[in-house]
Amino acid sequence: MGGALRFAVVRLLQIIPVVMAIGALNFVLLNMAPGDVADVLAGQMGHATPELMAQLRREFGLDRPYYEQFAIYLGKLAVLDLGTSHLQQLPVIDLILDRLPATLILMVTAIGIAIAVGLLLGVAAARRQGGWLDGVISVVALIVYATPAFWLGLMLIVAFSIHLDLVPSGGMSRIGAGTAGFAYALEVAHHLILPAITLGLFYVAIYTRLMRASMLEIYRLEFITTARAKGLSEGRIAWTHAFRNALLPVVTLAGVQIGHILGGSILVETVFAWPGLGRLVFDALLQRDLSLLLGILFVSSVVVVLASLVVDLVYGLLDPRIVQK
Amino acid sequence: MDFRNAMLAAMAGAAMIAASAASAQQPQTGGTLTYTFHPEPTALSTISTTAVPVAIISTKLYESLLEYEGAGMTPKPGLAESWSISPDNLVYTFKLRSGVKWHDGKPFTSDDVKFSVQEIALNYHSRGRTYFGAVDSIETPDATTVVFKLKQPVPFFLRAFQASETPMMPRHGFTEQDIAEKRVRQARIMQEPIGTGPFKMKEWRRGSHIILERNPDYWKPGKPYLDQVALRVLPDGVARALAVEKGEVDLAPQSALPPSEIQRLRTVQSLVVSDDGSEGLGPMMWLEVNLREKPLSDVRVRQAISMAIDRKRLVDVIWFGAGKPARGPIVSGNPAHFDASLPQFEYNPQRAQQLLDEAGYPRRQGGVRFRLTQNFLPYGEEWVRQGEYIRQELGRIGIQVETQSVDMAGWLRRIYTDWDYDFTSNFTHNYSDPTIGVQRAFISTSIQKGASFSNSMNYSNPRVDELFRRAAAIPDGPERKAIWNEVQQILRADLPVIFLIEIGFTHVWNRRVQGLIVNGISMYSNWDSVWLQR
Repeated sequence: MGGALRFAVVRLLQIIPVVMAIGALNFVLLNMAPGDVADVLAGQMGHATPELMAQLRREFGLDRPYYEQFAIYLGKLAVLDLGTSHLQQLPVIDLILDRLPATLILMVTAIGIAIAVGLLLGVAAARRQGGWLDGVISVVALIVYATPAFWLGLMLIVAFSIHLDLVPSGGMSRIGAGTAGFAYALEVAHHLILPAITLGLFYVAIYTRLMRASMLEIYRLEFITTARAKGLSEGRIAWTHAFRNALLPVVTLAGVQIGHILGGSILVETVFAWPGLGRLVFDALLQRDLSLLLGILFVSSVVVVLASLVVDLVYGLLDPRIVQK
Repeated sequence: MDFRNAMLAAMAGAAMIAASAASAQQPQTGGTLTYTFHPEPTALSTISTTAVPVAIISTKLYESLLEYEGAGMTPKPGLAESWSISPDNLVYTFKLRSGVKWHDGKPFTSDDVKFSVQEIALNYHSRGRTYFGAVDSIETPDATTVVFKLKQPVPFFLRAFQASETPMMPRHGFTEQDIAEKRVRQARIMQEPIGTGPFKMKEWRRGSHIILERNPDYWKPGKPYLDQVALRVLPDGVARALAVEKGEVDLAPQSALPPSEIQRLRTVQSLVVSDDGSEGLGPMMWLEVNLREKPLSDVRVRQAISMAIDRKRLVDVIWFGAGKPARGPIVSGNPAHFDASLPQFEYNPQRAQQLLDEAGYPRRQGGVRFRLTQNFLPYGEEWVRQGEYIRQELGRIGIQVETQSVDMAGWLRRIYTDWDYDFTSNFTHNYSDPTIGVQRAFISTSIQKGASFSNSMNYSNPRVDELFRRAAAIPDGPERKAIWNEVQQILRADLPVIFLIEIGFTHVWNRRVQGLIVNGISMYSNWDSVWLQR
């Protein structure tokens, strides 16, 4: 266990330069985009004189040279101060913490659905390679993989919300319902069904195909032949012997995909009006709300790096040789 | 049944219908009006930004001195119960209603009015200088009297007191430091609004909804009728339309839905689809043209472009019938200033080709006369499709168009700071007077780098400058009308922009919503008389 702890600490320390570098890169990239928040405000207001523009830029500190803004930004980042949103005039960290739980609930549920269903289907398909079940699973997985999430989301709304009236069409809870505690949790769960399925289905397809391929590879190895020779049942061979070994590539992919899912949630959050980070980042980008944008990118990079740390630890549990190395 | 009985039965039936119609018109108190709009407001006061979502929500919280009636925006008493104007149009005296309280219980006084104009509107509102630039002094002889003394007459002065344009804000809502350091946007009141409006702030769950609740101490007895007004943030246009269709949302104001969805919802029985109630904003769309270089500096080329575009088709096909072809810089919904004798712009591609030949741009290799770059306002799908249509039509007369796509911040920078474009679609508001909304685009003094929605074209015509200058300082009447007629004639001939469409603001609401359309800025009105039929 000492090895695992040291492994975790070393990886945690490695995170610091990584997220600082990401922050710096974000700053440079975002400043390269034409236009700033003063332009956006002027556009929203329908008219602005050069004096008003200058006043806005002064207010937001955008009249200083880039290197000065950059130094101020890095200095604040070092003490974890994410600053104030230019447009909303609220602390960036408050705005993010307001939205982060919604995104995490959606992400974790979607990944949970994707991994659970994907692994089951993948194993089922691999055990009957070439059979009708394998064929059906593979074709359906391919179709789902090729379906755009926003379209799927809208179709699910039309079917299950408008026509069947089983689930709400969007949002995270009913407005002003004033529910709390368990009742609120139930309400959120009810609202979560469609977005989680929409976001999860794409990854179900990926994990199904990956798990199937991985299982088939393991099936070809000698220890499986040995197990069969010992007369173990096919079910025991699949779940006890092959499954754990076949998981490694899936866990690797899941780690890599956390960032991808965070990005993918923008579309799903848009369609279902899910009040998560995805929408916030999209609006902040269009509005050139630089401090907010940098803050969100910083927090999401921390989430991704932490998630990949967790994946590495899980990896170590699945294959103890990794930690020992 | 004999004839007499049949008549009696018919009369009884008619009486019942009349009675139920009467009870239908009797406002009912209570209920929550839920509307949807996107993007979510970034602030709760038009002092921070006059963006549409902010203007819609903030006008329920904050009020101004006057209210307005009808599409023509006739001023009527609001926070000011009466007013008088001196014969020389230089002194406006407002008598304030007594007993009006801010949401925090403190009294509303003339000092707040002076503060709201002098410290807030003039310094922070994008049109503050247009409305109050000619104010010489503001006097407050007592707590309920405000006297504005002007340096020169301002014909639209009584239009300035709309809640979205000049919201009354409490002096006690700001610290001395907020004011002195010009950091009003950061003041606490911007997050926790204190207005005099019929609704108060209740809850803002960012990314999800905002709820306003009835102000029990509102100065109009019995108002507002609604218990609550709620904004539901639905980022996807189709999802917004589905929510309205399903009845989860009562109202999608100010073209909150995509035109294609609006078209679809026109046939839904439970909904009302209407373009009424935005006359006071005067939305107008044109192609802004950079006049600095050839070939666009040649008026014949601009006339050719104007003739190559079928405006009727644009309205019908791209905008699904929302709007009408523009006839000049002033919208036809503004009868006091619009010249009704103006003809439609001609659609005549053949004549357009002749004009280009005459201007010295014959077709060369591949049938191309010259190339232009087109930008478009990044407001959504329709703007892209409109750009495609224009590219196709100009291609037909030998102008090869390349389309560039940038987001809003990039577009504003390119058009108004860098002046780096050939032509672009643009969308502006006339507002209630041409001096407010039209002048800024065409007078030569607004050729200023970095000034958004100004004269990016580099259009300079001394006669037009002179006419706008004169119109800004005389009251509405035959003389001012004659000036506007001449302005419209000149701009139609000069074509510093290619006037396209008086775009329509379409509102979609559930039939149970009553009393919504009251004037030319109905979505920026305070909704104190809106009620829900149950």
